[in-house]
This record gives sequence, structure tokens and C-alpha cells, in this order.
Amino acid sequence: MTDAVRIVQLYPVELGITGDRGNVRALQVRLERAGVPVEVTRVGIGEAIPADADILVFGNGPLSAMRLVVDDLRARSAELEAFVASGRSLFSIGASAELLSQGVDLLDGDTLEGLGLFPFRVARTRERNVGYIIADTPDGRVIGFEDHASRWALGADAEVYGTVVAGRGSFAHGEGSGEIVRRDQAFASNVQGPALPLNPQWTDAILTAATARRGIEWSAGDAHAHLNEYAEGARTTIERLVHSKDFRTIGL
Amino acid sequence: MMSGAPQARSAGIRYVFPVLAGKLARFATRLRGGGSAFPGYLTNRLAPTLLPTLAGQFRYGVVFVLGSNGKTTTTHMISEVLRAHGLRVFTNPTGANLPQGVTSALLADATLTGRIKADVAVLEIDEGYAADLADRLSPSVILSLNVQVDQLYRFYETERVADMMLEASKRASAHVVVNRDDPYLSKIDVGAMRGEVSFFGVSGELVAASAHGLANAADTRSGNAGILDHDAFAEVVSTEGRKVVVRVDGTDAAITLPARGLHYAADAAAALAVAARVLGAEFAVEKAANGFAKMAPAYGRGEVIPLRRDPEGEQVEFVMFKNAPSLQMNLDALEATPERALIAIDEGTPDVSWLYDVDFDVLKRIDVVTGEKAYQLALSLEHAGVEIGVVEPDMEKAVALMRALAPSSSGTQTWFVNYELMMIGRRLLGHGDQEIARR
Ligand SMILES: [Zn+2]
Repeated sequence: MTDAVRIVQLYPVELGITGDRGNVRALQVRLERAGVPVEVTRVGIGEAIPADADILVFGNGPLSAMRLVVDDLRARSAELEAFVASGRSLFSIGASAELLSQGVDLLDGDTLEGLGLFPFRVARTRERNVGYIIADTPDGRVIGFEDHASRWALGADAEVYGTVVAGRGSFAHGEGSGEIVRRDQAFASNVQGPALPLNPQWTDAILTAATARRGIEWSAGDAHAHLNEYAEGARTTIERLVHSKDFRTIGL
Repeated sequence: MMSGAPQARSAGIRYVFPVLAGKLARFATRLRGGGSAFPGYLTNRLAPTLLPTLAGQFRYGVVFVLGSNGKTTTTHMISEVLRAHGLRVFTNPTGANLPQGVTSALLADATLTGRIKADVAVLEIDEGYAADLADRLSPSVILSLNVQVDQLYRFYETERVADMMLEASKRASAHVVVNRDDPYLSKIDVGAMRGEVSFFGVSGELVAASAHGLANAADTRSGNAGILDHDAFAEVVSTEGRKVVVRVDGTDAAITLPARGLHYAADAAAALAVAARVLGAEFAVEKAANGFAKMAPAYGRGEVIPLRRDPEGEQVEFVMFKNAPSLQMNLDALEATPERALIAIDEGTPDVSWLYDVDFDVLKRIDVVTGEKAYQLALSLEHAGVEIGVVEPDMEKAVALMRALAPSSSGTQTWFVNYELMMIGRRLLGHGDQEIARR
């Protein structure tokens, strides 16, 4: 009997407005269809993160929700630092990625200090970046939806995971822009969609690392055919739309 | 009762040219099959005072309907209830809820001298423009239905939407009507309003009995995620399918909803609260019930359309949704697992991440997944463990596939669609001629 992989979704009520449950589902379903048991725990303000958690999933939310959770999150700073430093997996999107950064400079001049888990700083902007986004990464092409009013300034030691091929992205990178900052097995990004269902290759990279660390046999197979087929259909549709000349993602 | 409502102001000869220009532009745009914004823009430029003048002529005032979900349905409900009381009602067509669309609609009904022959205007208004339009149209009543996580790509922060509704509400001269069961709206600063504040709601027992409550956005701002309790001026006290009882100011109104669902019941309570405030002592629950009785056939809710053009044959029941809360409320209102089902979303809904927040347990199988976003939709259903028959992005082919299925024993197929694909689906079935309330 294989031991379960433990997935924790942090602040699902406050930071979970962009279908972030879908990222948890993608990790869970892909493991379960390979016969690996999974335990999913939802952790709210004031609740303990299980000590043996393998993967932490953080979602997105409004500024008010960030302010609501920030003190509770700061109290977990050392715990989260040790979690990431030990090579365990963390996946954060939008507001949670901002909270795990060095800090967020808000439009009104205020600053929301972050945990400094990732080496970048966030500046909120008046301009919004909305639409489909495509970025090339070492684990394949990441495709999703971006919807944020921010620019990230990366520290010298920040590891850039994706180069933007279409869309705006979160930060300057080379001649163009980049998306997704990586530290060991932890990721910070603004890719919504949610990202993991739409990007099985990224999900599998995370699962491969998490299961290897635990010595659990895992690989995608025939049981994942539907998941992969529908993801591929969605990705192909988005790529076609993004490259069609008269396509505008939305009319604001 | 109407003390706070604007008095009729004189229109006249100075509006002939702007109105005529606008009407001609409207005619020309119609011929081209184009949108309806330009005529309104033109008239606004030629006579900026025309809009307030038109609005000032409604004896019973102007009503604004705001909300993340249910604006069109509730606008229709209020209109029908007021008509059942003998009022002539002006209302804007479905979706024409931006300033130019509202102007264009008013223009279409105005005489050349800028006169409107109606007693009351009931207008669905986009939240983003509500305060601005309120400054020009001086509404006597502003209704705010709900604040739901919706259109984040437009508003980003859900609480901003709440603030837009509450800010606009300050401009209502006579009455503000808000949802007692909405966390943000329940916290309205009553003292900041000019108008009297009335609440509508659904009884606590009914909310508790609903699988996912009312699906309004949690308040992440005040430290109290839930609602502040208030006595409701209009409250849904019982439901049985489409038959519901709403207690309005102590008197029970037994009405029939246009479709099943607790969200429609809440909309009905909102509509009755507004009608009672507009009409004052003239409001009568029997007349209100007559208004609802007229509504169902007129707007296609709960109406079924033959699948194969045979009125005696298998029927299609349309279930319309626009976001997670409306889809969830519709799923919760199903009487049983649909035997044959189609689901469809197109690019009119840019961000569909919310699909992962919907609990699809009641659906065991979807026969055909369609629309431009068919694969994203199928992906979320697959993750939810719903069995999928075919993914076919082309709606026309999808309809052919549904027609080719073996007849169901219930004689009914259920099609879950967003507004645009409902219109297309109806046309493909040979029913393209009717305006449908958006939800
Ligand atoms: Zn499957």
C-alpha cells in the first residue's frame, strides 16, 4: 500500500477566487488516476499546516483578502522557508505569489511587506494585463489566462522559469518579458486558467519531483488520456485564438 | 410615497433636431445591422440636457436595477408587476445597460419633441456606469441584487463592484433596495443614503436547506465574511418548484417563478420590494401575482422547445448561466440528474477558471460539450469526474449530435448554455424570434 501524497490548499476561502481549487484538483486527479492515494487538506487562518505536507497550493484574491491573511501568513514564515528549502513543492498564483515576494508597493503609496520567500518585489500598476498568456519553460509550453495589474522587479538571484511568447507576462526578461519565478520546487506566477489542469506537463513536473522525494512510483499513462486530450484541445484552441489577427481576448 | 420622485419637466421644440438626428442614426444603424450605441452618442452630443428631461417625465420615477447576476430577469419581473398594476412601463432591451445603450433605447421611444409616453422607467444598468447614469437620470429607486465573483477581468476586486453599487445607491431620491443575504450589501451604511433603505431576502431555513446557499461573494474586507442581519421588507418564506411565497411588508404574495431556482426566488423578492416601494398604497399582492403569471410564457423561462421541430416529440429545456453562482444555483435546482445533457460556453465568457469552483456532482454524464470554449469546459468536467460523450466546439454540429441520440424516456433533454449560445441554440431549433431574459 502506497503512502498518500499530501496536498494542502492554504486560505481556500480568502485566496481562491480564480478557480484555484482546479490546481488542487489537477494534482489530485493525476495522482489518483495512476493509483497513488491523495489526501487533500484545506488550511485556513489560524489552522496548522500538516507537518508531513508534500505540496502547498496557494491561490489568488483581492487586496482586502491579502490584508486579511498577511499576519497569519507572516507567522508561518520560518515554517514555509524550511518547507521550500527542503525541496518540497509549492505552487502560488497572483495574490499569494505577491505575499510570498519581498513586498508589494501599492498604488496609494502603501506597502504590504511580503515573506521574502521569492526574490522579487511587486509594484501594483494602473494598467491591467488581461488575456491569454503563453510562455516557454524547460518543462514545455505553459498556456493560461493572465489578469493582474502589477509588474515584478526580480532580484539578481531570481530563477526565471518562463519566457513569454504571447501575452504580457509579469516581469522584464531579456528583450521581452518573462513569467513564473522558480525556487527549487516552488513556483510563483500570474498564470490563471487555472494553470495546472491546462498544463499537464507542468503538473507532471511538480508531481514527479514530489513523488520522487517520497520514493513513490508515479507516471502518467492510459488513465490520463481524457485529461490530456481535453487539455490539448483547450491549448490548441487558445494558441489558435492568440495568433489569429483579429482576436482580442476581451473588450474592456 | 412619490414625494422623492422627480417631477415632470417640460420638453419641447428644442429637442426636435437632436431627437430626429438620433432616430435617423438609429434607423441607419439598424439597416446596417450594427450596434445601438452611436445614435445615443449623437443625441447626447447634440442635446446633453435631453436625457435628464426624458427621465424627468416618468410620473412614478426611474428605477435602476444593479447586480452581478439577475439584472435582466429582475428588470422583467419589476416591469411585469408594475404593468399588472396598470402602469405603462419603459424598459431597456436586454444587455443595453451601458450609457449609450440606455440613451438609444429612450430615444427610440421618445416623440420628436422629447416626450415619453410611459409612467415609469425600469432600467437594468451596468454597475460600472451606475453612479454616472444616476447623476443624469435621477432615479427614485435603486435596487442592488447581489455581489458575486464575476467579471474579474473587468473589475478585478469583487468589493469594488459592491462599492460601485452602494455609491450609486446614495443617489436614489426615494428608496434604496438591497439584498439582506449578500455579505457586502447587507453592510450598507443606511445613514449615507438619501432614500429609505429596504431589504429583501430569503428565509434562513430556505438558505440553509439549499446545497450551496445563495452563492454570493464572501466579504473579505470587514472582518465579518458573512451578512449583517436585518429584517426583510420582502422575504421568500416558502418554495415548491416554481411556486413560491414572498412575504411583502407582512402580506403573503403567492407567485409562480419563470424558472426553478432559489436565485430566481430571491430576484422575485427584490422585484416585489421595488414594486411595493414604487406603488406605495396602490401595491396589491394579487396584481403582483398576475404580473408573474404573465411573465413565464413571454420570456421563455421554463419553456421547452421541440428538439426535432415536432411539438409532440422530445423537448429541450434550456438552463442559462453566466458564472459559477448562477450555474451552481441552476444545478442545485434540478429535480433530477438530466438524462440527456448538452453544455456550452463561447468566447463571450473570456475567463472560465470559475468552472473549477462549481460542484458538478448532480451531473453524471454530459452527452455533448460545445461552444468555442468546449475543450476548457470538458477539461473542468473531466476533473470533476463527469463522464463526457463528445466534445464538439461547433454548436450546429453539436445540435445535430443531440438530435441523433436515442430518445430519452423522460422526453426531455437539458441544455446548459450561456446567453449567446442559448440564442444560437434556439435559432438552430427553429425558435430564433424571441427575446430571452439574460441570467
Ligand atoms: Zn474521462
